Amino acid sequence: MSWFGFGFNGFGQICLKPKDECDKRGNTKVLTPVPLQNVCSCDSSGNDDVDKTTLNPKDNSEKTRQEIKVVASWSRRASIHINGDRCVCVSGVDSASGEECFGPIPESEGCEDAVISERCLILRFPDRVECWSWKRTGKALAWSGVQDRTTPTNTSPDVTFPLVPGGYVATQIPFFRPLSPRLHAVSLILGTEHAVLLTASGTIYTWGSGSHGQLGHGSLTSEDEPRALEALWGVPMKYVAAGGWHSACISAGGDLYMWGWNESGQIGLPSKGVNEESQKVESPGRGMLTISKKEDGDSSNVFISIQAFPALVDVPEVSEISKVSCGSRHTVVITSTGDLYTWGWGQYGQLGHGSECSSDEPKIVEYFSSGGMTVEDVVCGLWNTFVCAVPRKCSP
Amino acid sequence: MNMDYVWGDVRALLPVTETEFPLLFSEMVEPSTLTILELARKELYSELESSACADSAQVIIDYSWEKINTGTWRDVEKEWRRVYSYGCLFKVVGMCHGDPSQAKIQEAIRTCDMGLLMGASILDNILQRLVGVLKNKVKQGVLSKVDSDQPYPKVKKLKKNCLPEPIINTKLSVPRVHRPALESFRLGFLLPEKPVILEGVIDHWPALREHHWSIDYLRAVAGCRTVPVELGSRYTDEDWSQKLLTVNEFIDHYIMGKGVDGMGYLAQHQLFDQVPELKEDIRIPDYCCLGEGDDDDIMINAWFGPEQTVSPLHQDPQQNFLAQVIGRKYIRLYNPEETENLYPHQSHLLSNTSQVDVENPDVVQFPDFLKASYQECVLQPGDILFIPKQHWHYIRSLELSFSVSFWWS
Repeated sequence: MSWFGFGFNGFGQICLKPKDECDKRGNTKVLTPVPLQNVCSCDSSGNDDVDKTTLNPKDNSEKTRQEIKVVASWSRRASIHINGDRCVCVSGVDSASGEECFGPIPESEGCEDAVISERCLILRFPDRVECWSWKRTGKALAWSGVQDRTTPTNTSPDVTFPLVPGGYVATQIPFFRPLSPRLHAVSLILGTEHAVLLTASGTIYTWGSGSHGQLGHGSLTSEDEPRALEALWGVPMKYVAAGGWHSACISAGGDLYMWGWNESGQIGLPSKGVNEESQKVESPGRGMLTISKKEDGDSSNVFISIQAFPALVDVPEVSEISKVSCGSRHTVVITSTGDLYTWGWGQYGQLGHGSECSSDEPKIVEYFSSGGMTVEDVVCGLWNTFVCAVPRKCSP
Repeated sequence: MNMDYVWGDVRALLPVTETEFPLLFSEMVEPSTLTILELARKELYSELESSACADSAQVIIDYSWEKINTGTWRDVEKEWRRVYSYGCLFKVVGMCHGDPSQAKIQEAIRTCDMGLLMGASILDNILQRLVGVLKNKVKQGVLSKVDSDQPYPKVKKLKKNCLPEPIINTKLSVPRVHRPALESFRLGFLLPEKPVILEGVIDHWPALREHHWSIDYLRAVAGCRTVPVELGSRYTDEDWSQKLLTVNEFIDHYIMGKGVDGMGYLAQHQLFDQVPELKEDIRIPDYCCLGEGDDDDIMINAWFGPEQTVSPLHQDPQQNFLAQVIGRKYIRLYNPEETENLYPHQSHLLSNTSQVDVENPDVVQFPDFLKASYQECVLQPGDILFIPKQHWHYIRSLELSFSVSFWWS
């Protein structure tokens, strides 16, 4: 099992910048996937037999899996070492010194899971949740809450962080926010200003800002309280994701639904911005804007800016989607056959196609498919993508 | 002109040393962002890396752009607008390093304009001062495709479904008054909220005299500036959109062009804050002193477009002086008392706009519209129309037109 990263590397969160000052420039963008060297500095390889944690209870057969989980914010990447030492290692800039840093966070020892944001690191321990804020002067404990696992409502092992008994933990004040136990929430993903929640019965709830259609209720209004996504009523869902201004979910049958802002083609629908960007690339020189000529009857000129209801997204030649993750303006999915597809904003290489181009159509990431790898997990940072892959098994 | 001086002139606008270049922001701006800002500043002052600061600058621009798009427009913290402007500043300086090409200089001006349009003022309005320097480095005519010797273009367009010249019913026409005294305007029109055309009030504007706003003059003063342009016939249409273009591109495609690009309208844009030279060509009407606000509170917008631009019937919350500089416009006015006959849109966003196409009303869908009484006029160059607050107005240009509106209270 290996982790790879691509996209924005302005803080060395994918790979460290070369020490040579003159060579520093080329490294802000990683355009094709690179293996994350020493995912954790406390990484103890050969520790495969160590007791498995609760994160992936279904996966008991394969002991080497999921020993490391990656989470990312704009400027940092955290590797959660969830067997052995149980700690979090952070790569990225150190706020105090402005220097790139790479190493374990002492305060994280014994933690099970974590969420990272531009302002804080939230750690889940067996008995409590702690929120450490990044300050220029170092880390400071901003909030700590006792986690009472005996509460009968949220005891399912399938419930994932940042859901906690009785509610969830947000990255801004107030850190703890209650949720009705009647929702039977099993998964919650926080977008920049909105939240997408999956219930045990496969229903989707959304709330927060609706400014770009990211709630999927058909309007641009905001919701203070979780509201069921009626458009998907009756289609049970199994997986959710949320990005900057867009959202995604996968049905039990493996269909992908998306809604929200399509500014860079992140919904996978025709985007005006992407169309104009590609025209500009095709007509170099002069430094002038190209004005697209409208051709009557050409359906390719129907652009979607905001998709306010869930839309079924077609990934060509793919029948089933198994996982999805959203960056601020890009989308990444894993298919049931272990291939990786990306689309949306590509300026920092976060699509992994070896270019800075955006795309409003899903495209396979060749690095993994032609490299004989099966992709098992994906986590998007705002402008980058982290992928866990294993060598593809030979067909019997 | 020696282009070698571009870098020197740009550099001269910047603080002399890195320590004299402040980067102070509130807690709102995260330490990681500050790290990149400081990196860009360091690169800027290191001779070897001055051009590298363009990369860091783009990161700053992209990140603050996302912050500016978070939350509603007016609630966005000014701090992030300032960060955006710093990003634009660093990018411009990076682009001007060495021996920039004409295209690079154009791009630098465009970047300054992005900062002026979306950002907040920084370092004593340095982006505006940079444009002042860079504008003089652009070779005139290099970047505008269509250059005519005609002092004033009379462009024949491919006309599609154009409405004919309106015939004004004299019984309904808006009264005209020649330079009324302040008090008589106040008592006769402002207090009773009656529309009126004021003649002879803007005759002395340089825009109508020595700096006559010809196409060539507008190209010379503002051609390389980036402005928002409305595309589509009217803002209530499905396919209506906005796009950023330079004034030259706008003129080439939507004024001089043959209409193949559709309709484009440089509408409701505070062009005079962006291009101070043009502000010198106009004057705030004296009558605005009858309001309660200062001159600084008056919102001045430019409306520049080809014939047949349409502003659908709508109302605004403030008093309006609409000054006509170039061309003629047909205007229809309805008293606020007629609102129920005008069928405003239901949605909150468009509730100040009528659903009725004024010159081609659907009387089946909107039967009461014909009951509404109105006034109308053709505004001529040199006229000012007083539109009292909340008065519904519909405006169609009859030829190439440039109007300036003053919103005041």
